[in-house]
Amino acid sequence: MITAARNYLVFLRRCARVAFVGDWRYYSWMGVLTVIILLGLNAYAKQFAHGLIVTGMSDEVSWGVYIANFTFLVGVAAAAVMMVIPVYIYDNEELHDLVIFGELLAVAAIIMCLMFVTVDLGRPDRFWHLIPGLGQMNFPASMLSWDVIVLNGYLLLNVHICGYLLYCRYQNRKPTKWFYIPFVFSAIIWAVSIHTVTAFLYVGLGGRPFWNASIVGPRFLASAFTAGPAIIILALQIIRSTTHYRITDKALLTLRGIVQVSMIINVFLLVCEVFKEFYSGNLHVASAKYLFLGLHGHHALVPWIWSAITFNLIAMVLLVLPVSRGLRYLNVACVLSIVGIWIEKGMGLVIPGFIPTPLGAIVEYTPSLNETLVCFGIWAFGLLCYTIFLRMSVPILQGRLSKANEGISEPGPNDVVAETSVTSHS
Amino acid sequence: MLATGLAAVAASLKPLFEMEDITSAQQFMQKYYKELTPEDMAKVLQRIEGEVEKEYGVRPHVRDLRPMDGVEFVYALNLSRCIGCRKCVHACVAENNQSRSPEIQYIRVLKMPHGTFDLEKGDHNYASEQVPEKGFFYMPVQCQQCHNPPCVKVCPVNATWQETDGITVIDYNWCIGCRYCEAACPYWARRFNFTKPSIPAERLNPNMSYLGNRPRSQGVMEKCHFCVQRTRAGRYPACLEVCPTGSRKFGNILDPNSEISQILRTKRVFMQLKEDIGTNPRFFYYFDV
Amino acid sequence: MVLTGLAVVFIGLAAAFLSDSWGYPAPRVKIPLVDKAILDPTTVRRTYADLISAKEDLSDFDCYACHEKGQPPPLRYDENHKLLIPEEHVNIVMGHGSHGRNNNCFNCHNETNLTTLQPRDGRELKLENSTELCGSCHGPTYRDWDSGAHGRSNGYWNTKLGPAVKKDCVNCHNPHSPRFPGRKPAPGPHTLHGTGEVTHTPESPSTH
Repeated sequence: MITAARNYLVFLRRCARVAFVGDWRYYSWMGVLTVIILLGLNAYAKQFAHGLIVTGMSDEVSWGVYIANFTFLVGVAAAAVMMVIPVYIYDNEELHDLVIFGELLAVAAIIMCLMFVTVDLGRPDRFWHLIPGLGQMNFPASMLSWDVIVLNGYLLLNVHICGYLLYCRYQNRKPTKWFYIPFVFSAIIWAVSIHTVTAFLYVGLGGRPFWNASIVGPRFLASAFTAGPAIIILALQIIRSTTHYRITDKALLTLRGIVQVSMIINVFLLVCEVFKEFYSGNLHVASAKYLFLGLHGHHALVPWIWSAITFNLIAMVLLVLPVSRGLRYLNVACVLSIVGIWIEKGMGLVIPGFIPTPLGAIVEYTPSLNETLVCFGIWAFGLLCYTIFLRMSVPILQGRLSKANEGISEPGPNDVVAETSVTSHS
Repeated sequence: MLATGLAAVAASLKPLFEMEDITSAQQFMQKYYKELTPEDMAKVLQRIEGEVEKEYGVRPHVRDLRPMDGVEFVYALNLSRCIGCRKCVHACVAENNQSRSPEIQYIRVLKMPHGTFDLEKGDHNYASEQVPEKGFFYMPVQCQQCHNPPCVKVCPVNATWQETDGITVIDYNWCIGCRYCEAACPYWARRFNFTKPSIPAERLNPNMSYLGNRPRSQGVMEKCHFCVQRTRAGRYPACLEVCPTGSRKFGNILDPNSEISQILRTKRVFMQLKEDIGTNPRFFYYFDV
Repeated sequence: MVLTGLAVVFIGLAAAFLSDSWGYPAPRVKIPLVDKAILDPTTVRRTYADLISAKEDLSDFDCYACHEKGQPPPLRYDENHKLLIPEEHVNIVMGHGSHGRNNNCFNCHNETNLTTLQPRDGRELKLENSTELCGSCHGPTYRDWDSGAHGRSNGYWNTKLGPAVKKDCVNCHNPHSPRFPGRKPAPGPHTLHGTGEVTHTPESPSTH
C-alpha cells in the first residue's frame, strides 16, 4: 500500500517535472500563454474589486461573452466523446491511441467552463452556497444545479479515465477493463448530457422566446460535434509536428467524417430555425430579427452572424467536396467551422436572447476591454493546461517516461528537438 | 525568471486593494435565511444595523417581518387612470433604498400607443412636457409576484423563494449573483448590483427589513417585494401611496371584503401580463368597466 | 535566451499592472437626485373636512360675510351662454362637464343656503360631505369609489393595525374643473453604460 502510494507520488513528480522542460519553442509558447493569463488575472482582479460594472453587461443584457464562451466550451468538452464512440463501440484501430488526447481536451475545456462560470458570478466568494450539504442546492428544479453536477461529474470521469490509462501505461501494465470501461461508457452518455443540460439552461426559460425552442438542444449537439472534432483535428496535427507521436492521416480523415456529417446537420437545423422564426412572423421573431437583420436601427450582431453563416457554409462545402481529404483544405474547413460555431453559438445565441428585453427595450451589448482580457486569460489558461497535459502524456504513451526508466532518464528538451527534426523530414 | 513571474502575478492582483467593501468573516459564514434560528437572526439584524450605521451614519431599525396568517397580497393597477407621471418609480427608489447612481429602479413605466399591447411598441424613455399625452396609455410594470415564478425555479442556491403571502423575496446574503433569475424573468423585474450601490445618507430610509429594503451589497440581485417592511406591518406599498390618480390598488385577496377582492369581483375586464407563459401573476391590470 | 526575454516581459507587465491604466469603465455621469416633491404622497388638494380637522382658518367659507342671506346671488352669462365669473370668485375656473353645459353654480351649491351643497334631489349637504353630492350624478364612479376601485386610499390596508385614510373626490379633483391637469413626468430611466438612454421605438398612435 505504502509502496503503491510512493510509486504514484514519484509518477506525479516526474510528470510535473516534465511539464517544466522543453525546447525554446515550448518555453516561448508557455511564456506567451503566461503573459496572457496574467493580463486576464489582472483584469479579473479589477472586476472582483469593482464589480461586473467593468464588463459590458447590464440589467438589459445580463449575460455576455463569459456565458457565450462557457456554452461553446461545454460543446467542445462534450465532443471528446466523438472519438470515444468509434474506438470503443466500433473498434476503430486508427483512433485507438488518440482517444486520450480527446479526453484531455475535454478536461481542459471543462476547466475553462468552470472558470467562465466563476468569473460571471457577482459573488464568487459565496460559491460554497452551491455545495450540497454545506450550502443549498436547488436540485432538481434549477437547470444550473444540474449543470454544476454534470460538469463536475464529467470532469471527474475524464480525469479518472485519462489518469488511470496513463498511469497503467507508465507502469507498463495492461489496464484492468472493469476499472475504466464502465467509466468510458458513462462518459459517453455523460457527454451528451452535459451539452443537453446546458441547452436546457436556455430552453427552459418561457419568458425568452428566442431560447424557448426545442431545437436549441439538437443544435447544440450538432454544433458541438462539429467544432469539437475540428479542434481535435488541428490539435492532433500540432502534436504530430512537435513530437514524433504516430498519428495517421487516416485517423484525421475518420474525424473529418464526423465533422462533415455534423456540419450538414448543424446547417440543416439552422435552416429549420430560421424558417420557423421568419415564415410565421409572429411577435416573437424580434430577437431573431435583431440577430439576422437588425431591429429598429440596431444591428451590432448582424455582421457577426452573417460571417458565421458564411464560414459554416464554406466549411460545409469544403467538407463535402473530396478536396478536404487533403489536409490543407481540411484545416481551412476546421478553422472556419470553429470560428463560425463560436460566433453562432456564443454571441449568436446568448446575446440576442436578451434583445429586446421582455419589456421591449433595446439596449445593445459590446464586451468591454476588461471582459475581453478575462476571456483571453481563461482561454490561455485552458491552452496552458492542455499543453501541459500533452507534454506529460506524449512521453508516457511513447514509453519514454515510464516506471522502467525511473531515475535513469528524464525526457528532456533535446528529445523534443530531435523528435521534431525527425518528423519534419518525414 | 521565476521570481519575475511571481512578481508579475503579485502586481496583477493590485486592483484587489481598491476594494471598497470587504466581506467580513461573519458575512462570509452567515447561514441561509431559512436555517437561522431566532437567536441567530437577532444577532444578524444587530450586525446589519451596525454595518449600516457605520456606512451611512444613520442607525436604522432592521426587522425580520414574517408573512401574516391568512394573508395573500394582490396588486391591481387601473390602466384607464394611470397618467404616466413616474412618481411611483421614484417613491419606490426612495422607500427601498435603491442605488441612485448607477440607477436601480423596480418599476418601469411604458408609454404605449392606443390599440396595442405589444410591449415592443412601448416607449420607456418618454420625456414629454406634459403627461398624459393624447393617443397613448401608460403601463407601469414591476415584479408581478407570480404564483409560478420562473426566477425561483431557476435559482441554483434557493436564494430566492415565494413566501406564504405571495411575495417572492431574496436573501441578499445568500445570492451568488449568477443572474439566471434575471434571464428567467418574463417581466424584466429583477435588478443586479453591478457595482457597490450608492445611496446618499440623507435619503436613506431607516425603516428596514431583512428581506426587503436594507442596503444591498455589490454583486447580488434585488427586486420589488411589495415593500415588505410596510405591507407586513399593515401599510400600503410606497408606489400606491404616492400615486396621484389612485390607479394602484393593493390588499389581501383572502379577505372577501378587501378593496382588492371587490375590484377583482366586480370589474369586468382585468388581465395578467403575458398570461400565456403560465406564470399566473398576482398583479392585475384593470379598466374602468 | 527565451527565459531572459520572458523575465523582461514579466517585469514590464508588473510595471504596467502597478501603473493601472486600463480596464476601468469610463467615469459615469452622476445621475442627479430627484426633486423631493416627486416623492410626496400627499394629495394635491385638501377638503373642507381636512381643514376642519387641521383646525385651519375657515373664514373663506363664510359666504354670508359678503352675500346677503335670503337673497340668492344672480348668475350672468355672455352671448354664448358662458357663465361670467364675478371678480370676487376670479380663482374659479369653470370646466365641469363637456361642452360647458354644467354652468349653473346652483347645480351643486345651495341657492338658499350658500354654506351648504344641494344635489338635484333637494337634500341639503354639508361642505364636508361633498362626495355624496358628486355621487348624485356620477353613479358608477361613486360606486367604484365606495368599493375602493376608484380613488386614493392611504395608510393601512390592514385596518386592525392602523387607519385606512380614504380620500374624497375633491382631494384630487377640483370640483369646478375636475379633469386632471397635465403634469411633467418625473425623470426617466438611465442605462448602466453608454448614453444612458434606453432605446425605444416611438410609435405614433395613427399607425393603427
